[in-house]
Amino acid sequence: MTEYLIRRTLQSVLVLVLISLFTFMLIHAAPGGPRQIFLSPGLSPEVAKIQAHNMGLDRPLPLQYLSWVGDLLRGDLGYTFKNNIPVGEIIWPTVKNTMVLMGAAWLLSLVIAIPWGIYNSTAEYGLSDHTASFLSYIGFAMPTFWFGIILQEIFALKLDWLPLSDMYTIGKKGDIGNLIYHLVLPVTVLSLGFLAGYMKYARASMLEVLDQDYIRTARAKGLKERRVVFRHALRNALIPIITVIGLDLPILVSGAALTESVFNWPGMGRLFVQMAVAREYSVLMAIALITAVFVIVGNFVADIMYAIVDPRVKLSRRGGAAA
Amino acid sequence: MSPTVSTAPSRGDRANVVTRAPGAWRTGWKKFKRNRLAVTGLIVLGFFILVALFTPLIAPYDPAKIDMMFPNLPAGSGNHLLGTDDLGRDIFSRLLYSSRISLLVGFSVAVAAVAIGTLIGAISGYFGGWIDSFFMRLVDVMNSIPLLFLNILVLAIFGSKFSYMILILSLTGWMSVARLVRGTFLQLREMQYVEAARAIGVSDWGIIFRHLLRNASAPIIVNATLMVGNAILSESGLSYLGLGIQMPQTSWGLMLSNAQAYMLIDPMQAVYPGLCILIVVLAVNFIGDGIRDAMDPRKKTLLTGRRFDRWRQSFLKSKT
Repeated sequence: MTEYLIRRTLQSVLVLVLISLFTFMLIHAAPGGPRQIFLSPGLSPEVAKIQAHNMGLDRPLPLQYLSWVGDLLRGDLGYTFKNNIPVGEIIWPTVKNTMVLMGAAWLLSLVIAIPWGIYNSTAEYGLSDHTASFLSYIGFAMPTFWFGIILQEIFALKLDWLPLSDMYTIGKKGDIGNLIYHLVLPVTVLSLGFLAGYMKYARASMLEVLDQDYIRTARAKGLKERRVVFRHALRNALIPIITVIGLDLPILVSGAALTESVFNWPGMGRLFVQMAVAREYSVLMAIALITAVFVIVGNFVADIMYAIVDPRVKLSRRGGAAA
Repeated sequence: MSPTVSTAPSRGDRANVVTRAPGAWRTGWKKFKRNRLAVTGLIVLGFFILVALFTPLIAPYDPAKIDMMFPNLPAGSGNHLLGTDDLGRDIFSRLLYSSRISLLVGFSVAVAAVAIGTLIGAISGYFGGWIDSFFMRLVDVMNSIPLLFLNILVLAIFGSKFSYMILILSLTGWMSVARLVRGTFLQLREMQYVEAARAIGVSDWGIIFRHLLRNASAPIIVNATLMVGNAILSESGLSYLGLGIQMPQTSWGLMLSNAQAYMLIDPMQAVYPGLCILIVVLAVNFIGDGIRDAMDPRKKTLLTGRRFDRWRQSFLKSKT
């Protein structure tokens, strides 16, 4: 276990280094290079040279990279060009907002999808199963932002039941009831997408288990169907489901650039889009790195959870299921 | 798993069996034909492709022609089938021209991404060793960056050009195919026929392209179809955010971002483009699922859905 943990941590660090290198190179591959991006437009060549020197842009690339990474390790994400605000001050509040939105949508869809998928596996091709598979086809094929726009038109503009966008009504910041009121539409939009995947997955996983010999044995020895499904089948079917859930953890911070833009939710996805349009590269680089860290941690957690729920998995063995 | 049924070959088949066993593609097509959803998808997609091909002949107006005299006309008024948008452009013509963009993006991205993914997956699966670890770490890195973020980042840095969009969507779409091909190759390369081919002196590339790739082709095709749908969705999302297709050109995503601003005046404007995206992607996904079921040798059923249901009913009755 410890050996696996060490190897896995080293691997994660390597991936992180590669990602930071990749983002850094991307900025430096831009047309005109970082000089054009980082320097204020309309400077005379002499002033531009001084500014470039002050920002360290005239140093060799490897040195620039190292100093950037050094700053990152000290928690300094850099400053925006406009107004020179520390990047961290902009990003961290949006991370929290995104987590609220995504967490709500994610939990809701899990609570609905997994029991529904399990039920459908016991009543294959029934009405409920057909409804679910229709829903997941729609969920996979519909542009989420379009669904958002349509919901806005119906429930916010036509019926006027729910707020059109934003996180709080002006002057009611921090009010939980108001927050929930604003959450309904975006959570509905996001949940449909998650629901489609999880439901299909839970159903498929259960069906695979229910087809196995030991289930037939359990039925043959006269156990009640309920006991067969919940005690015998479900325990094994949950293993792959839990892994997928773990792998999806990172969407809690990254998944919603489009939905956040539609509903004007002050989250990280919307911030990323705004900063991309404004070409605030230091913010973009920081967000890309933060989400990458979340993804890697998520994968790590998924692997460990996999080992915990499935005693057959031995993490120390090389090339095992978790590698 | 549903119970599988192998039916006796019909009369036409029996004649074939004597001369030559039907190949995998023939039986596959036969199974595909019986899948109602898949055939519907094929017809709908074919319809959209035809429309896209003949758009200049069908479209009644120039999609970029601005007519400030008649903005936001409702559907059916003033010779505009679906009305006009905020700048007086004909919505119907714009929808038609957008279908070209979407289908072009969808298919070219799928082809390019599958080509890249297949090549990388084949190389790392066949040769293994450090090449394999290198490419798989690359896949890890690519999968660790949220792809929508990466697309936005690249388009923001290099500018939103149509060619850049196709390029970046392909470069961020190949990982699933690479994983899939690698996995299949890891299994297939231990097969005896590969050993036999090597023994008679077939080169590595000959084995990869002639022997292994053919056996891996079914899941690759399924993946490619699903990728068409994903690429269309990504394009519409990027265009909606203003980072994809730019102004004189038009795309369904771009139309949606316009429509959202004029929601109060004409809510129907937002309905049409989204519906088009939904229908096309749904059709493509149905086709993909149909191919997957048709190429899956474990699914032996040659019955239609309804006959299968009837068979299943009687089977269940006989069991109890």
